[in-house]
Amino acid sequence: MSARDRIESGLRRLVAASWAERLGLSFAALVASVLVGGLIVFFSGTAATCQEPAYGVFGLTSCYNPISVYSVLVTGAFGSILSDPFNFNVALTLKETTLLIFTGLSVAVAFRAGLFNIGSQGQLIFGGLASAITVLTAGPLLTGVGGFLLVPLGVLAGALAGALYGAVPGALKAYAGANEVITTIMLNFVAEQIAFFVVSAYFAAPDSQSVETSEIPSAAVLESALFGSGSDFSIVAFVGGLVLVAGLYYLIKYTAFGFDLRTSGLQPEAARFGGVDAKRTIVSSMALSGAFAGIGGAVWVLMVLGRFQTGVPALGFDGITVSILAGNNPLGVVPAALLFGVLKSGSLAVQLSTGVPIQLVGVLRGLIILFVAMPEFFRLLGKQFVTTDREPAVATDGGEQTPTEPPSTGGTDDPGGER
Amino acid sequence: MSVGRLRSALNGGLRHALAYGLAGLVVLAALYGLVFPETMVGDLLRLATSKSTLGAALRLAVPIACAAVGGIFAEKAGVINIGLEGLLIISAFTGVFVTDAVGSVFSIPGIWVGFVAGVLASTLLSLLFAVVCIKFRADQIIAGLAVWLIALGLAPFAATVVYGSVNTSSVGTLGTWTIPVLSELPFVGPVLFDASPTVYLMFLVVGGGWYVLNRTSFGRHVRASGENPKALDTAGVDVTRVRYLAITLSGVLSGIGGVGLSLGQVGQFIGNGQTMVNGKGFIAIVAYLFGNYNPLGAFGASVLFAGLDALQLRLQQIPAYAVPSSLVQTIPYVTVIVVLALVGHTRVPSAAGDHYESGED
Amino acid sequence: MTDAVVLDEITKRFPGVVANDAVDLTVETGSVHALLGENGAGKSTLMNVLYGLYQPEGGTIELDGEVQEFDAPRDAIDAGIGMIHQHFMLVPPMTVGENVVLGNEPTKWGGLATDRSRAREAVRELSERYGFAVDPDERVEEISVGERQRVEILKALYRGADLLILDEPTAVLTPQEVEELFDVFEELTAEGKTVLFITHKLGEAMSVADDITVLRDGENVGTVDADETSREQLAEMMVGREVVLDIETESVETGETVLDVDELTVTEEGTDQVRNVDFEIHEGEILGVAGVDGNGQAELVEALTGLRSPDEGTVTLDGENLAGVSRRGHIERGMAYIPEDRQERGLVMEFDLTENGVLGGQHTPPVGGTRIDWPSAREHASDVIETYDVRPPNPEAGAKSLSGGNQQKFLVGRELERDPGMVVATHPTRGVDVGSTEFVHDRLLALREAGVAVLLISANLAEVRGLSDRLAVMHDGEFVDVVDPDTVTEEELGLLMAGERPDEPTTTESVSADGGER
Repeated sequence: MSARDRIESGLRRLVAASWAERLGLSFAALVASVLVGGLIVFFSGTAATCQEPAYGVFGLTSCYNPISVYSVLVTGAFGSILSDPFNFNVALTLKETTLLIFTGLSVAVAFRAGLFNIGSQGQLIFGGLASAITVLTAGPLLTGVGGFLLVPLGVLAGALAGALYGAVPGALKAYAGANEVITTIMLNFVAEQIAFFVVSAYFAAPDSQSVETSEIPSAAVLESALFGSGSDFSIVAFVGGLVLVAGLYYLIKYTAFGFDLRTSGLQPEAARFGGVDAKRTIVSSMALSGAFAGIGGAVWVLMVLGRFQTGVPALGFDGITVSILAGNNPLGVVPAALLFGVLKSGSLAVQLSTGVPIQLVGVLRGLIILFVAMPEFFRLLGKQFVTTDREPAVATDGGEQTPTEPPSTGGTDDPGGER
Repeated sequence: MSVGRLRSALNGGLRHALAYGLAGLVVLAALYGLVFPETMVGDLLRLATSKSTLGAALRLAVPIACAAVGGIFAEKAGVINIGLEGLLIISAFTGVFVTDAVGSVFSIPGIWVGFVAGVLASTLLSLLFAVVCIKFRADQIIAGLAVWLIALGLAPFAATVVYGSVNTSSVGTLGTWTIPVLSELPFVGPVLFDASPTVYLMFLVVGGGWYVLNRTSFGRHVRASGENPKALDTAGVDVTRVRYLAITLSGVLSGIGGVGLSLGQVGQFIGNGQTMVNGKGFIAIVAYLFGNYNPLGAFGASVLFAGLDALQLRLQQIPAYAVPSSLVQTIPYVTVIVVLALVGHTRVPSAAGDHYESGED
Repeated sequence: MTDAVVLDEITKRFPGVVANDAVDLTVETGSVHALLGENGAGKSTLMNVLYGLYQPEGGTIELDGEVQEFDAPRDAIDAGIGMIHQHFMLVPPMTVGENVVLGNEPTKWGGLATDRSRAREAVRELSERYGFAVDPDERVEEISVGERQRVEILKALYRGADLLILDEPTAVLTPQEVEELFDVFEELTAEGKTVLFITHKLGEAMSVADDITVLRDGENVGTVDADETSREQLAEMMVGREVVLDIETESVETGETVLDVDELTVTEEGTDQVRNVDFEIHEGEILGVAGVDGNGQAELVEALTGLRSPDEGTVTLDGENLAGVSRRGHIERGMAYIPEDRQERGLVMEFDLTENGVLGGQHTPPVGGTRIDWPSAREHASDVIETYDVRPPNPEAGAKSLSGGNQQKFLVGRELERDPGMVVATHPTRGVDVGSTEFVHDRLLALREAGVAVLLISANLAEVRGLSDRLAVMHDGEFVDVVDPDTVTEEELGLLMAGERPDEPTTTESVSADGGER
């Protein structure tokens, strides 16, 4: 067994834990991240400058009150949702949610195949760029009724570009053994620079200060129904995302390709034994992963910006957190994306009313991954604080399954039990 | 000879073939440039061998080489530290922040106080990583990514809190130390002995790293811990302790690299996008893979990657070649990918990535 | 005379099982003591307790009359115990010398550097005293298994061990190397050392040990004097009932050639793992392959089952050349494969039995195809569970929740229910209890009777000899000879396994490699 396989064995553990355990783990990780994030907010507030401290404890005063930060975050994400369910804040939250569904799915599908696709960001950039270029080029040709085709065309272009860019690190891994974590990260940098070059050299919007394309034809824009124009949220894109979620769930659970993919992710050696073409599976799952990210990029262009612009927000990295929070389960991506969408849109309100910088989301993004990665932490914590008669409840709180097998497979003489 | 045999023979000698091939190409290009100084190759040669480019290459190699040596210790001990990037980011920021905020302590210049603080920050973060991986048995890759993403979020967050922008204000650099006599040597003098103190530190890190790994019992324990931790455990050496030490060491060394970047070269922290570290931590990983886990080899690879970066920076300054700068900037990253694809099948320490607990069978 | 070790009522529990149940053990100083028992009897656990790797729930350890408490192996080492594990605790890329002194490196310059010449000297001196021929500067990955074992012993001696514990020391050795090891035991006891070794082989225990203690189901069944016991008595103590030590086979008419392997060579990193191997297997025939592990068996199997492509030579199945046929193609052509490593290769541990039942058949109807028919997959798994008596009989049970024996039964069942024309079985009973072993043997013999061709690779000599119609011996990637398993002697097999070709064909009754005659 090579070391690379071993790396993936940890991932297996992450994928394998039961549904309820995963839910508990994600919840516990979220709570822990919010607590640690609150501490960070408080302490950073002691270094910030403000007119009068907002919060003090044990003689330490801080410019930020962590409790009000989080309450502003939630109200900021939902607005007055009870009186006006289609208010601007909700639209903002759902906009972020929609984008995160795509990148979340992107990371999740690769994860299930045992691959760490950190390159969703680059694939999203390429997808967005390809989508913008396609609709800009096809726009003048497809007028009138033909304009109807622009959106699907743009999405398709995004998916293809993302898939191709995802297939590159897949092929490098399958045929040259290059670790996909490193190559995808490198390709993120490359995508950024190439997009910058392509836009500034060939598609720059005239008279623009930033590096961006011209506006796409209005027929290609995903319109904001229900939530009023200018909300940059299209219910069509959101529903499209949900359809993809269902599609990916079906693919993983009910098709032979999905079986191959899951087997490769859990135990590559067993997959090879079972007749899975490992190389093809790696390339195709990376391409699929890239396609999801590419669609995310297309939606970002067609729904949010109405053009392609360099300096793409870090939706791909957020997708890692969303996927990990979702236990890499497509169905879990929806609530996880919603949650992260709340964080992202709420943090805007937080910055406005409390002065805590929006970069807080970036901190939470990392913290959540860290906590989800250590179920053992919550298990030990549970043991410490909960009396024994409640232990079973704690075990689902993210603890790993206690081995039900007797250690005969490893603890005693059984030579076949080596793992 | 069959295709299969040929392929396996190729794989075996690939690293050498690659190294010789690269060297050969460089020599050929250099000869061509010497003979035809008026051509573009001639220009490139002049550029590449100019004192300023070589000096820049060494300076730019500091964060990569230091993080790479740190990464070698962690991975040789059996813990893949993919969070080197995060360690560089946190130390780069903390170094500048503390220099700015604290100033001199006990008549130690503020910038050196900041230097120590930056290294300390990276060490603490690596200790967190160690606890998460060893005590809480987290998956090493995911925990490493978390370390990276936390630093990537935290540094710009803190910068914005304190400075109102993701970039800090400027605090000046450590300057250069000119070593008398040696710096007078022709050509090598000004490059090697009239450099930033962080460059000297890098030499110390590389040489010291090699010595510790190959000549001390700690180094042997580190290697055994990554190859067969159980052998070490049954020989009565505490594997957990060795791993904690190795990871912490990777934090200290990466910290030197990170502070070397912000205080040694730029004098401020730049926090937009991927921050000023810009993937150097990941490049460091490829550097030590290319260097086959040998600190000296990793240093060579670091200088190669940094040299490409330095050349790229210089190329941008020459208007004669209308190569778009954004494309030139991709060169180091693409090279890293190519190198990784060619040496992808390195002999990774057998137990790297594995959790180990004494008494587990 | 004092006793080197006295264990009193040692109890060690793991979640769900009691591995050692109040075990007593007394080992006389300067003797060779065998700890005999079946797989899973708790022998290794007991020794790991003695070595400080496990902390017992109850009981005391007494060494040379003093009560000891070991929190870690370090304590046991300090008390003069050395342990040689079944899987060597060596660091392959390091040299012999570095391995011997690991953890106790002599240093110089106040600990700033290791003193390599002093280490080399110490190793050389020790190996000369005990008559070991090992070069301290050679890398462990480059020396033979027998030499590695001696390095392990040196390691223990270097640390001043007076009591040496060896866990299944003969499992990886050829019969000749076993003899050499037993000579080493004599050297050691002559120097006043005590040897305690674990084995599940009756003959070994009887031939080399002074005393034999039998463990069964975590309990001490009794200690006997090796000179005053019999194989039958020991076997009964081990198993708890009388056992039949032989496998009955009936001769079967062999038919057409099923598998034809011609000049097969597999190369890895420049060296031949399998070299010019030639053989045929016919309908209704079992070809056994004996040999010490790591002599190319694994590579041969991978080349036959489509997991890797041969570098030279051809593999023909039912008249069709398999060159370029994928692993999936092999499955679809009716080749079943029972892999040696069920937990890594044969089963997906995180899948339940239903999902594991699909593995390998996910692309072929009725269960597989583009879409997987889960209801019929569940039915299929239930069928295998019922026929092969897998427990618990629940297709939803996770593979990792099953015991090793039941995992193996399910795996064997899944492969054999493919309706294969050819079966490649590697170590099919490794780590499996006696009952399941008999069951697997019966199934293989039933297949043979049904006209299936079987290639059986096993490190268990009794197994390959008992089941095979012809027996090939593999050494260093080559078939040294193909012999008649009924007439070949253990000594002849041992020589062949060590790579020594018979000079005169008369000493071994050679059977033509291509012929199916019996």
